[in-house]
Amino acid sequence: MNQENKEMNVSVFSDRVFAAAEAAGIAPAEICVAGSESFSVRVRGGKLEDYKVSDRFNLTLRGVSGGRIGTASTQALDEESIGMLIQGVKESAEVIETDEQDEILPPDEAYGAVCNHSEALRGVTAQDRIALAMRIDARLAAADARLTPGFTVVATSEETMTLKNTLGLDLSHSSNMIYAYASALAKDGDQAATGFKLLWGYSLEDVNAFDVADGCAQDALEKLGAGRMSSGARPVVIRNNAMADLLSTFCGVFSADNAQKGLSLLAGKEGETIASGCVTLVDDPLMPWGLGSAPFDREGAATMKKNIIENGKLITLLHNRKTAKAAGIRTTGNAAGAGHVSPSNLFIAPGEKDTQALLKEMGEGLYLTEVSGLHAGANAVSGDFSLLARGFEVLGGKAVRAVEQITVAGNFYQLLRDVMAVGSDLLFEGSPIGSPSVAVRSLNIAGE
Amino acid sequence: MISESICQQVLARALKLGGTFAEIFYEDSRNFGMSLRDGKIENAATSRPLGAGIRVYDGLRSIYVYTCDVTLSGLLRAADRAAAAVTDTKGSGRDVMLAETRFADRHPVRTPVLGVPAAERAAVLRAADRAARAVSPRISQVAAGLIAREQHVIIANSEGLYTGDVRTYTRLTCSAIASDGTENQTGMESPGARMGFELFETRVDPEEAGRKAAKTAVTMLDAPYCSAGEMPVVIAGGFGGVIFHEACGHSLEATSVEPGMSEFAGKLGQTIAAPCVTAIDDGTMENEWGSENIDDEGMPTTRLVLIENGVLKNYMIDRLNGLKMGMAPTGSGRRESYAFAPTSRMRNTFIAPGNDDEEEMIRTMGDGLYAAQMGGGSVNPATGEFNFSVREGYLVKDGRITSPVRGASLIGKGSEILMRIDRVGREMTMGQGMCGSRSGSVPTNVGQPTIRVSRLTVGGK
Repeated sequence: MNQENKEMNVSVFSDRVFAAAEAAGIAPAEICVAGSESFSVRVRGGKLEDYKVSDRFNLTLRGVSGGRIGTASTQALDEESIGMLIQGVKESAEVIETDEQDEILPPDEAYGAVCNHSEALRGVTAQDRIALAMRIDARLAAADARLTPGFTVVATSEETMTLKNTLGLDLSHSSNMIYAYASALAKDGDQAATGFKLLWGYSLEDVNAFDVADGCAQDALEKLGAGRMSSGARPVVIRNNAMADLLSTFCGVFSADNAQKGLSLLAGKEGETIASGCVTLVDDPLMPWGLGSAPFDREGAATMKKNIIENGKLITLLHNRKTAKAAGIRTTGNAAGAGHVSPSNLFIAPGEKDTQALLKEMGEGLYLTEVSGLHAGANAVSGDFSLLARGFEVLGGKAVRAVEQITVAGNFYQLLRDVMAVGSDLLFEGSPIGSPSVAVRSLNIAGE
Repeated sequence: MISESICQQVLARALKLGGTFAEIFYEDSRNFGMSLRDGKIENAATSRPLGAGIRVYDGLRSIYVYTCDVTLSGLLRAADRAAAAVTDTKGSGRDVMLAETRFADRHPVRTPVLGVPAAERAAVLRAADRAARAVSPRISQVAAGLIAREQHVIIANSEGLYTGDVRTYTRLTCSAIASDGTENQTGMESPGARMGFELFETRVDPEEAGRKAAKTAVTMLDAPYCSAGEMPVVIAGGFGGVIFHEACGHSLEATSVEPGMSEFAGKLGQTIAAPCVTAIDDGTMENEWGSENIDDEGMPTTRLVLIENGVLKNYMIDRLNGLKMGMAPTGSGRRESYAFAPTSRMRNTFIAPGNDDEEEMIRTMGDGLYAAQMGGGSVNPATGEFNFSVREGYLVKDGRITSPVRGASLIGKGSEILMRIDRVGREMTMGQGMCGSRSGSVPTNVGQPTIRVSRLTVGGK
């Protein structure tokens, strides 16, 4: 789309909405515009199968009417939408009963600087993306006779968030990224396993075709020959990607909003030891080139780096202005909209040991490499999880045999306390939530 | 909404440099969401998603461009971007002639939610909240939500189709948390239908939903952890149908069958399930959550027998995968919104009623698990590996239900569980879900009578 044209339209439309809001007695008012553009290609069997281009935006009006804040949003910049936004805000303000809404406030004094937008990506053409996907697919096809390449996807995306209010706030942040992933099916007799590998970054060099293809092939092939494992409680080394998945699922327990509503057991536990001494959990919105980096949050508050857990001790939960006020502290800059909070770049600080050392120290147990069904088998409120898993049986300090069709069960709160060691291999796998591998005392394995 | 003549111009433009097929999916929707926590209305918001997706086939390649600039110039720009990606079937372009087709509305709506006063909408949430809290003083939190969607679509394609539909959905969600101070357990009910606010007069009692969610949470708070191992499992009807949805349904979608990433690929006409199993995917059921008039490619919806007495009869097929497979589409092309190209998806998918007695199933199962309520789950269609959580489970000892157990999950492979179903009850009930796949999140019903699986791996502690 013609970029200039769209921006002018959004800006003219915003001014008209602000004027209509003022006329309707909505003050102060805030407009948030989230815009995104993406381009992706999908290749299979040496052929370009799918080609997708998008641009979209969403405009949200929030405003105070009768002492409460109402919200309405639209993707259409027309006359009808202006009426709908104004009526929507008034109606929603009328029915809402909670006092503690996200407030609309003037800008903070200063904002941190952070960059996760690459000019280099702008020069990447459709042909570049197709060629990269083709190279990955071809490399996979030639990798091993037992392997059938699935889809290879190369995509770029660019997002811009603009936040403006009638109290002088006017902020904007843009980010972009490129990612490439491949999937493959490995078959050997009755055995079947899928492999997957994703790389991301901010230039074509960050998504090397051979690294994606070889990673995917290895992931699929090393699962072949998998057997079951006998049931029982075992020590486990959780690989970085699987630990990041668990952390993503349970990160809501660090939300002050959840805590204040009885949905997290960490309410009021600040200052207490809630995890093993080797666990430090960081939320860093100012991390250079982080996927979740941004200088301001959804309320326009300045963001900042902080330790949520430091050497096992709970330092702070994540706050927006509303939860911070209730707790008598300052916001941590984690407002996510609609009164909720969310982390930015969230990760367990890496330790010193590599995976081999973690396995060696464990001696016998499970090297857990993959968990699935997190949206169903994990209860973010109770912390309980029981998940389909894959991994390797570890004997004599070494991964000796692939394992499938097992479940691992435990409780996230307990898991934090049971961490024995934290690895050095911090990984963000296309997500702002990352982790190194960790060794834990025990999880319950259900197999044969 | 956009006219026939605009669609004609846009489709012709999309095909100006070649291409074998072009389609436009235009959407102008009204969404409403309201939520209650701590006994108070916390959020209420309307939104208006609007945009169009233009799809061009370049042989068997799909080119998809979407935008929320739906002015004529915006749509033509999107068509140009799609046209520019055509490489294999370059040509000189052609005219597109459209004729309007109207389909009968099988799913009448009486009371659009947005026409109902806000206070009345809020009253539904309050009723669920009150009823849940009345179940036990140990109910520490109740979150209730009302979700309504009115999706107006126009679908036109270069084969002359110009049609439209209005899809109206209303749903209540209620989750209750029971707490004893150190532990939390949850219960959840989310009934909905393809209809308006009359849902709460004709089908759903908000108090009943609140009570049921609270009872599950309280029951689970007192339950010990389920022990792990292989055992027979009886799965109750309603949302229990998620087991078929995940373990088998996804593997019967052309999305996974066509690329050979399904364990059921190439098995039409073969026995893939026990003879007591007949399974159906039905978009025609009046006002059901997963029902349609037309799919998102403009094809009338259908009732499709997937498995008949254990034999695989049909896959669910969308237009593009149909072309690739050389098979006719089944009205199964669905998408969340204009931001997704459609692919084959489930609608109301269920195991048909059988002849077995539910009481007998438990009496003769020996030691095992009774899954009274299932949570969600997921599956890897390529290998058939699935996992589900059991939201409310009971231990069965010597053919008798003894005590509730928490934290159970069921894992296995789709092909195995289908063969191991040895009882199918007489009364089929359904539950509502949002199903996620490549074309986004779409409303689907899952369903089944109570069934028994002779052996399953149960994960627990």
